[in-house]
Amino acid sequence: MKTYIEKLLKIDRRLIFLALTLLLVFPIIRPLGLPNVNLGTEVISLYNKIESLPPRTFILISLDYDPATRPELHPQAVAILRHAMRKDLRVGMLTLNAGATGLIEELGERIPRDIAPGKVYGKDYVILPYQPNPVAVLTQLGMDLHQMYDKDRNGAPIKDMEVFKGIKSVRDMGLGICITGTALLDYWIAYTGDKFKFPMAGGVTAVSQAGYGPYLQTGQLKGLVGGMKGAADYETLIGVKEKGTSGIDALSLAHLMVVTLIVLANLMMLWLKYL
Amino acid sequence: MSETWMIFGGWVAAGLTLFLFSFLYKDNPFFKATEHLYLGAGMGWVFQTVLYQTWIPKVWEPLRAGDFYVLIPTVLGLSLVTQFFPRISWVSRYGFTFIMGYGSGLVIPLTLSTDFLKQIGGTISPFLVSEVSRATFWPLLNGAIVAAGFVCVLVYFFFSVEHKGAIKKASTVGIYFLMLYFGAAFGNTVMGRFSLLYGRFDDLYKYSGAKYFYATHVILAALVLYFVISHFTSRKKEAEEEAA
Repeated sequence: MKTYIEKLLKIDRRLIFLALTLLLVFPIIRPLGLPNVNLGTEVISLYNKIESLPPRTFILISLDYDPATRPELHPQAVAILRHAMRKDLRVGMLTLNAGATGLIEELGERIPRDIAPGKVYGKDYVILPYQPNPVAVLTQLGMDLHQMYDKDRNGAPIKDMEVFKGIKSVRDMGLGICITGTALLDYWIAYTGDKFKFPMAGGVTAVSQAGYGPYLQTGQLKGLVGGMKGAADYETLIGVKEKGTSGIDALSLAHLMVVTLIVLANLMMLWLKYL
Repeated sequence: MSETWMIFGGWVAAGLTLFLFSFLYKDNPFFKATEHLYLGAGMGWVFQTVLYQTWIPKVWEPLRAGDFYVLIPTVLGLSLVTQFFPRISWVSRYGFTFIMGYGSGLVIPLTLSTDFLKQIGGTISPFLVSEVSRATFWPLLNGAIVAAGFVCVLVYFFFSVEHKGAIKKASTVGIYFLMLYFGAAFGNTVMGRFSLLYGRFDDLYKYSGAKYFYATHVILAALVLYFVISHFTSRKKEAEEEAA
């Protein structure tokens, strides 16, 4: 028995990679439909915040993620955008991350196709171009955004667009949401949220989710969506099942495998030590 | 985008993903090539984004329209490039001075307010008379745990007093709070990594369809074939070296 356990503890790690691959791929081919029952309170807070906004309120969504964090953050962006459009809010999208421009284009193509087919570009939503130097951009957004953004991402002047009617700075907007895999949410909280009393919420990767707890406690963040689980929670709240929800099957199976391996390895170590 | 380009993009995406994952088996030339390509493509993307979305509309077009004020920030920005030329690298100090000046002025007060004063306020606020009078038991208990953890972790990082007696006990409690945080952060990290892996597998599954001419299957089979051939040729080579 002892020799057998020692052999098992020295198992080729590539076999564990293979098992993990099979567990993650299986639900893609054959979805299990495991329920997503426990919704995060901070996700519900963001949902309620958007629900409480009057129609035609302008919200600003900063999509600051690149392809490296796409699987976690893109479903969040789609779900929040879908909810905002459904609530008839005016939406402005921008990015402070050069790697995100292609992903925003993808979202821009999806809005008329399946996210909100009835919405009109320039009247209901707008996409602003990438700008470098986040600190300068965020400070300017609090004073006069037209000084920083005079044209949209296609080069069309934004001053006369209906979507910007009555909007001069973040003080005229109802909510800001920064979806990012970097520290840009910290910048948004400090340079627009706190400085200009602009209500802010965030969408972050699971890795950085725990670090934003203090901002939720103080009310500096009105809500937070964390990782693919957060995206699945938001999809559950709006009643649309997409990439976030379909990922829950795979995540549940993978977590089950990790917990099982940890317990088994510990039991084996105890066996070797005491028996 | 035309259908042909979509299919081509699918083959490139599936190929590059599989080439990068092939490192999990062992190092190989496909992984190396993809690694370099990733860096180059990333830099190229950032360059074209900055060129077309910042440089042209914010510098080139205003200059053509006769707005020469934009030359001031442009020259300050370009001065940073002189770092690459030792004889005139002193010019970059002007650009850096500007960055340091306005950066410090913006960052220091706001960081103090956002990450220091507001956090202290948030820790104390559940115990203010106005809050306590209307709060229920659970929010108060939650506030007490946060405040206790806050103080104990600060004690753990206070090194000017010897950690013994009550200080040691508080510092030990601080370690437990830190461990709880690290545990939660690690758990979230594992979940995040699995999500990213799931995202790639989801795309690979998409590219394995007939619409993409089974890109994933074909590339995976070719990669396996490469490893099998490479295994036998390297064994043959080793045997020849041993014989020599």
